This record gives sequence, structure tokens and C-alpha cells, in this order.
Amino acid sequence: MADRLEFESAVVRRYPAGEPGEMVLFDASATVKWLVRAAADGAAAQQLGVPFGSSARAPGGALVLGSRPGEWILLGTAESVAHAVGALDGVVGEDFVTALDWTHGRALFRLTGHDAVRILEKVCSLDWSEEMTPDGAVMSASVAKVTCDLAREDVDAVPSYLIFCDRSFGQYLFDALIDAGGEFGLSVGPVCL
Amino acid sequence: MTMSRLDPQPTEVVDRSSKLRFRWNGKRFTGFEGDTVASALAAAGEHVFSRSMKYHRPRGVLTADYWDPNLLVQIGDDPNVRAGHRLLEAGMDVKAQNAWPSLRRDIKAANSLVGRFLTAGFYYKTFMRPQRLWPTYERVLSTFAPGGKIDIDTPHRYHDKRYTHPDVVVAGAGPAGIEAALAAAETGARVLLVEHEHTVGGHLRYSSAAADRAALAELRVALEASDVEVLINSTVTGRYEDNWLGIVQRSHPTAVERLIKARAKVLVAAPGLIERPYVFAGNDRPGVITSGAARRLVNLWGVKPGERAVVFTANAEGDAAAEDLERAGVEIAAVLDGRDGRRVSSVQGPPRATDAVVAGDLRIEADLLVVAAGWTAPTSLLNMAGDRPVYDPAAARFFPSDPPGNVLAAGGLAGDGTLDELRAHGGATGQLAAARASAVAHRLQARTARALPVEGPEPAWAPDERAPLGRDPHPELYRSDTHGMVDFSEDVGSKDLVAAAREGYDSVELAKRYTTATMGPSQGKLETVNTVAAIAEARGETIAQVGTTVWRPPYAPVTLGALAGRNFEPVRVSSIQPWHEANGVRTIIAGQWIRPDHYGDPAAEVRNVRTNVGLIDVTPLGKLDLRGPDIPKLLNLLYTNKWSKLPVGKVRYGMMCAEDGVVLDDGVTGRLGDDHYLMTTTSSGAGSVWEWVENWLQTERPDWRVHVTPVTTAYTSINVAGPKSRELVSRVAEGVDLSPEAFAYMEVRTAAVAGVADCFMWRIGFTGELSFELHVPAGHGRHVWEALMEAGADLGVGPFGLEAQRIMRLERGHFIVGQDTDGLTLAPSTGLSPLIKLDKDDFAGLPELAWAADRRLPMIVAIQPDDPDVVPPEASQIVRGDTNEILGRITSARMSPTLGRSVCLGQVEPELAAGGTKVTVLLTSGERISATVIDHHAHFDPSGERLRG
Repeated sequence: MADRLEFESAVVRRYPAGEPGEMVLFDASATVKWLVRAAADGAAAQQLGVPFGSSARAPGGALVLGSRPGEWILLGTAESVAHAVGALDGVVGEDFVTALDWTHGRALFRLTGHDAVRILEKVCSLDWSEEMTPDGAVMSASVAKVTCDLAREDVDAVPSYLIFCDRSFGQYLFDALIDAGGEFGLSVGPVCL
Repeated sequence: MTMSRLDPQPTEVVDRSSKLRFRWNGKRFTGFEGDTVASALAAAGEHVFSRSMKYHRPRGVLTADYWDPNLLVQIGDDPNVRAGHRLLEAGMDVKAQNAWPSLRRDIKAANSLVGRFLTAGFYYKTFMRPQRLWPTYERVLSTFAPGGKIDIDTPHRYHDKRYTHPDVVVAGAGPAGIEAALAAAETGARVLLVEHEHTVGGHLRYSSAAADRAALAELRVALEASDVEVLINSTVTGRYEDNWLGIVQRSHPTAVERLIKARAKVLVAAPGLIERPYVFAGNDRPGVITSGAARRLVNLWGVKPGERAVVFTANAEGDAAAEDLERAGVEIAAVLDGRDGRRVSSVQGPPRATDAVVAGDLRIEADLLVVAAGWTAPTSLLNMAGDRPVYDPAAARFFPSDPPGNVLAAGGLAGDGTLDELRAHGGATGQLAAARASAVAHRLQARTARALPVEGPEPAWAPDERAPLGRDPHPELYRSDTHGMVDFSEDVGSKDLVAAAREGYDSVELAKRYTTATMGPSQGKLETVNTVAAIAEARGETIAQVGTTVWRPPYAPVTLGALAGRNFEPVRVSSIQPWHEANGVRTIIAGQWIRPDHYGDPAAEVRNVRTNVGLIDVTPLGKLDLRGPDIPKLLNLLYTNKWSKLPVGKVRYGMMCAEDGVVLDDGVTGRLGDDHYLMTTTSSGAGSVWEWVENWLQTERPDWRVHVTPVTTAYTSINVAGPKSRELVSRVAEGVDLSPEAFAYMEVRTAAVAGVADCFMWRIGFTGELSFELHVPAGHGRHVWEALMEAGADLGVGPFGLEAQRIMRLERGHFIVGQDTDGLTLAPSTGLSPLIKLDKDDFAGLPELAWAADRRLPMIVAIQPDDPDVVPPEASQIVRGDTNEILGRITSARMSPTLGRSVCLGQVEPELAAGGTKVTVLLTSGERISATVIDHHAHFDPSGERLRG
């Protein structure tokens, strides 16, 4: 990817600065994202060590999401993701493994706060209970009628959810989440990685 | 009937320190915080609230709650508001509905004079002949349509939606429902308690008995201390497959209404019982109310419902009503006990009031008749779960039969008992619900990859070991010795039902539809059992033999706003959209995409591209990243042409067919590396082609080593078109030789553009001009666009939109899949037969296309109207001469700024496909014009010199 220029997110609308509250929506679209595909039971899967539906930090710090059987999304800084992808080189052998830089193709938001589930309940039909969607869970669902990948990654024991969608839907989905979060005092956080 | 406000009552819910002013039919009134609209009006002495639907009879309070069919009013621009339920607010403008010119003097009440002619089926029988007069009939009849008025200029209000997955949903927060919720929550279950009314407590709310008051206080404290989520002023409107519940919440703090879609593991139905009216002459007259209405008026709102009352009672509720009325200072003229065989025959008085009650030979002066004749068990949610409740004549009501294990009944729906017995049964129901919910939760958790691991085996399905409730005996009181109103909402009387049965509509389902009994706003809650009883009587059968109608969703009427919920309409935009918006774009909606249609003058945009250079944002163009060694096999399977020998750096056009040989999509695919290709599709086909490819790979060829990833919006796509496009691109591209020799038509290169690395650059286009299609990492898309605009200022660069592109592609004769083809267009009809390689081993559509090879098919051809100024509307038919025999149609048509004439593509029968053939086009105006088929699809630059540049 081009590193010389500033990445422009799909979210370009400016939002009025509100009182910073407990509920925050961050635009993390600039986070480096790679898509790795390989056999669900092959050497790459062993190396990544993250089964479908769960997530874990890889050595180097990248967040690895088991987004579908045989498919992983790697998130983090360029270095951490490169480290995780590079680690596959030595282990995959004859396995058919592909890795694709998806940074520009997916918008990524992080919704954080104790009322996050109450906001998500307004736009997504998944069961957000602790039992069904614990910290570390990864899933796919329609969010405000947009197909999304989602992951729960709590921050300092505060519920936090990552929401990915096709970049072209980014502005729409961000607006929909802001609207859904209005009654909970959702504010827009700084662009983050 | 003279109603007035009582001195403060110990049980009342109104706050007399908070006065609310409002208007009723233009007059000023005052009520209190906590009043309903109806209670405030009743306290002010109003006793007529509406006119009935058909006969326009004056109607007063009947049940004084949500179900009261006589209390529908207009509030502001909100029609059909239930005044028996809607809480009073300051400034409300309340008006009566269904009355003209006024509620007091309603001219349409003349209908009642001809009432005997307005029986069931009157409209069907009377207005079906002569058929030609129906529009007139309809216009006149529409003025009689009941209900309030809708203001189409009313601002949209905020309706909300929520999804939730509770373990247990309890429908009804009476004592049994509360106990069920508490017991379930104590086990750790997530419980949602849904209450129709504004406060919890069920019938305890309006009971004056000390024991009931104490129990209510105790239950409310317990509920407050629990983890139960309580939704007041909310209704479980439907139960669907697998306990998918619709809940309308009217008590949301920010939304007018919220539709909650709840997937409950177990549903507890505890809606209580609904008091049903008694059928006798004049039973719909103001001054006749149910015992529950009397108790609510007195105890909740401190309203004295009359001065002198007759109480007709067949149960404890009626007895308690008599006590409450007496305590409130209402003179009890008589208590007629239905358990002793006493009956009310009629009420008498002027049209708008009651002044006497007739019971057999007895005539009793009274302005109020309170009736306690029995109960309707609202088994709706059980019906929706498949249960068929059974009638018990000894208790004079229906009871659950055999609902599924994840739907449990509690409270009055399940039986009778003391308050303690009902509470205990409710608690046991809650425990059972929680136990069964835990088994369901275990199963779901075990089957869901993302969920926490389960411990141990799935819990056994808990047996139902609840002690059953008893059934209090109750006389079967449905109709007296006179006829009266059965359905107050629809103005259907017992006579109508008897007549319907005599006419042959003797099935309850047929009679319901014929008479419309039970189909009004009360949704049968007050009318169903009386309807069944009337039909049973007419047929000489029992209620059990007649059976009931099936209660379907909704339990209570749902507003369209609640059903619509929040208006999620996803839209997609490219990264260049902010630039478009800042530069005067006129957008067009293409599927979910918002795309530039033009920037003010499409014809000028065409001329600029043909003369200078233009940019178009083609980001929606479908793009699939293909990786793996078996890609040639895949492409050979998907496309009709051959792909085994495509060199790296080359691009090839391909046409995809479905298995029936019909054109599915088309586009170009370029080879970026040994095992790396980029496939493009049409914009509208991006999603379906991806699914098509995955379907082949996952179900038919799972052994092929190919990974497909949609990257449509990972790249911002910009087509640079025009004779100066090479010059423009050369100013921003780095590390690539753009000369025709080094970078020829239908080739692809990877290069940096405007400082952005890893851009793909194709020598293709859709305009017929020298073109470079740039695919730029989307996070830098706007930067590259702006760099091109800046770099090309001296070249005359300008943006162009979809309309200009459509004109130019038509000038050049490029067809569009879905526009110039349809669901029957086989691949050879496109004129691209050389690309259909029937000698390949296989490809999607091969058998059909092999069969079609020898057949004469309709063809896509270029057509030019003989009058160059006429642009036939697209879809104009091509016909034979002066006949209406259809021989084809115009599929695309535009005025060509380049050629100064109209140009078209069309599909025609094969005998018309040869160049020079004259055809007749039938315009939508009816005019016929002459046109000529030309030799080639291209109206402009048929040799393709310009695009090969």
C-alpha cells in the first residue's frame, strides 16, 4: 500500500463536538487489515491458532480474527500485521494460502462503552449476551442492513466492538451508529488505529 | 348518566396538584396528570365520546381501557387514538371521529333509521350492479369510511427498532406474570416483562381491597429490586416460529414507538382476562359499562360514573364493583345477580343516555348499568403457537389446550384461584420457564462457534409439575332475551349474526368475514365469544361445537410507523463523492450506489471527452481479486471464450452465461501475475457474479485452488478517456511506459499514480475513446482524482457522469447486460458469437448454447431512426408495418451529440437483423416511425481506431 500519503477514511462527514461521554464511536478505518485464506485445518491455521468465531493477539501484536472457517482477518500496525503474515511463510509448505491487503477495502469502527450492546441491539439481530458473544468473539451479521464482520475486544474490561464493512458503506454505517447511539450519549472519538 | 370527579381516592393514580389543560372538540377542558384522555373527559361530565361505525349511534365509555371500542379519537394529527389508554398531556387537541357536523348532531345517524336494510353484506349485495356505477358508489361510500383523518404533511416521527434474546418473556404484568418474571429471574435467567398498561399490577391496580393493595405494593418492590427488565405500555403483538416475538413499546423515552423483535427461549403468556359485554337491547347505549370500567373509573381516576346504578353481576368482580360504587356515593338502585338467573332485557332512555333498566317485568330508574357477565380469555399468543383452546361451559370461557413446551400460560388464562394461588402458580410457571430456557440456551451455546464453551450435557427438558389452577363456575351469559350489539367496533349485532347463519354463513370463520364481527380495532377481545355464542344459538349447537376463529397476529393493532421502524436504507458512495458534491454533481441512484449522473450538461461532457479528455468515477465497477494456480480453469468455466493462454499483463473481454445460456454478465479480466488475476464485472452484477463464482468453487469445484475476494471498493476506479488521456496520465503516472507500443489496448500495468503506489492501470474503456482505467487504493482515490484534474487543467480535462458515458457507449455500440439484454437473451443474440467457444470441454451454458447454435435467435442491432431528431423512448416496440405484431424493441436510445442524430440499440427478430433493413418503431404516443438497421453495432468509429489510439 501507499505509505507516502495520508489515508482518507470513508467517513468524511464532520460531527459536532459533544460532551465526551462513556460511549464512544471511533473510526479506525486506517488500521492495516489483511485477509488470510487457507485450509481450516492446515498448517496456516495451526500457525495462526485462532479458530473460527474467536480472536487472539499474535506475537508482534496483530489481532487475528477467525472470521470464517478457513479465513482470518489480521489487524494492527503495518509492522505487526506484516510480522504475522510473514510468520506463515515458513510453515505453510505446499498448503494453498493467500494473503491480501484489505486496508482500503474495509471501513472499521470501534464502539466502546457499557451501553455498546444496547446500541448494537438497535441495528443488529445477534444475541449479545456474555454467553453467546464473550470477549474475543468474532461473527458476521447485518448491521443496519449492511453485511459486516464484527469482533468483541474489550478495553480495560469495558465492552468494545469492532465493526467492519465494505468501505463504500462506511459513511452510511457510521451515521447509522451515531443515530442509534443518540439516546445513550454516544460521541465520536478521535480517529484511531 | 352524570359523571363527575370524586374526592381523592386512596388508590387513584392522578396527581391532583398537576393540572393539564386540553381541548375537546374545540372546547377547553382540564384534567390531571395520570388521567387518560377518557377519564379526564368523563370527570368533566362528558359521556358521549364517539359515533358508531355504521349506524352512528352515540357511544360512551364501555370498558375504560385500551380495548374500549367507543373511545377512539383524533388527537392532533394522530387518528384512531385510544382515549381509554392514552395518557392526558397538556395542550392536547382532542376531537371526536366519525361524526359530522358534530358529535352531538351527527347527520349520518340517519343510517340508524334504515338500519334494518344495512345488515351484513349490504354493500356486497347492493352496489355490485350496475357495474359501471361502481366508481360513483365508491366515491360516495368513501365519505362514510370511519376513522380519523390523516395529514400527509405530518412530519415523520422517530420510530425505533431493537432486537433482543431474553431467556424468558412474560406477556402481562398482573400478579401471576410478575411472580413468573421474578421466579425466572431468581434463577439467573434474563427476563423481559411486558405490560400493556402504564403500570404493572393487572387487576390489583384498581382493586380497593386492602389485601390486594398490600400484594401490589409487595410485588412492585420485589420487581424494583430484581433484574427483570420491565416494559410498560408495551404489547406482545405476535408470536411466530420458534418464539420470535413482536413487541411494540410505546413507552420509549425518545422514540414514539419501538418495535422489539425478541427471540425468547420461553414465552409465558399471562395477559389476564378481558371482561366481555353482555348482549341485550341497548347494550351499546351511553350509561352501560362493564364492572371493570366502573372500578377503574372510581379507583384509578376518582371518577364517579353515574348517580344511580343497577349492577348486573355474575361474578366477584361485579360484586366488588357494586361495593366500590356505593363507597363512591353512587346510589345502587338494584343488584341483579346473574348467578341466580336474573337477566337484563334492555335499557331505555333518550338516544344519548340511559335512564332506566328493564329486567323482565322490572323497570328500574337508573342512569348507569354496570355489567359483569363473564370473561374472554385472550388466548391469542397460544393460538399463534399452534394451540387450539377448548371451551369449558361450566366456567363459560376458553382454556389452553396443549401449547408447545416453550409457551406456558399463567394467571387467569390458566385458571382461577385466590390471589395467593394465582401468585404461586405464576411463580411455578416462572421456574419452569427458566428451567426450560436453560436447556435451550445450552443447546444454542453448544452450536455456536463464537459462544463460551458449555459445561456438561444439555439439561433435561423440565417436566410440567405445576399444581393446576381451578376453574370457578360461571353462568353462560352471552345474550339476553333481546338482541343487541355484539361487535361495537363494527356495528354488528346479534341479529346480523343470526341472519348470516340463516344465509348459509354458519361456519364461524365465514360468518366473521361476512359480517366483519371481531375484525375491528378490538381484534375480537370483547366480541369473539359473544359472536361464537350467537352463531351457536342460531345453529342450535353448543359453543364447543361451533369452535372459535383463529387469533392471528397482531394481538393488538400495530401502527405502520412501528412496523416500519427505523428506515435503514444503506447507500454506497465512492471515495470521490465529496469532490462530486463540491462540484455540482447531479446524482443518480443505481442500486445502492449514489453515482454522478452528470455535472450540468451531459452533451457538453460528451463533446469534451471526444475532443479533450474527461474523468469518470467508475468505482462501482465490480472487481474480484483471484488468486491461485487454477484460475484459468475457473475462467474457462465461467466465460464462453478461452482463457488458458492469457499472458501476464494482458486483459481479455469475456461474457458469462447462466446454465441456460442466457447472458449473465460481462467484463474484462486481466492477468496481474502468474497466479493473480483481477476480474471486473458490471456494476450491477458485482454481488451476483461473486456469489456465482463462489457457488461454482464451493459446490462444484471445491478441489480447485482459487481464492476469490471482492475488492470492488478497495479500489477507487477512474476512467480517463479522450484523445488527450495519454498525455494526462503520463503527467501523473510513474514507472510505466504509456506509449502505444509499450502499453497497448487491452493490456494492464501496475504503477504509481500521483504518488500512490500499487495502482492498476488498464488500457480499456467504454466510451470508444483512447482510455486508461485506473484502479487506485481507495484511501487515496480522491487524491488521485484531484491530481488528475489539476494536471489536466491545460488539456481541458473535465468530469463526466453516467449519462455522458451511456451516450458514448451507445455511439460506440457497446451493449449493457440487463439494459440491452434481458432474462431470455442467449449469448449469440449479442452478436459476439466468435467469443462462444463451443469446442471447449465445458463452460456454464455450453449445452444450451450448443443447442442454440443452429437456431435463428433475436439479435441485438444498432438502429437509426430515419428522422434524426426523433429519439424513441426505450422499450418502444418494433412492429410489422401497420400491424401490432411485435418484432422487437428499442433497448437503448439517445441523441448523439457527436453525430447530431438519434442512435439506438434494439433487439429484433432475426429476419430484421441485416444491415439496411427498414423497421417500424411504435412510439408510446402511438405514432409509428421508420428506422434503419445499420451494419455494425457502432454508430461511431466502427473500426475502433480511436479507442486503440
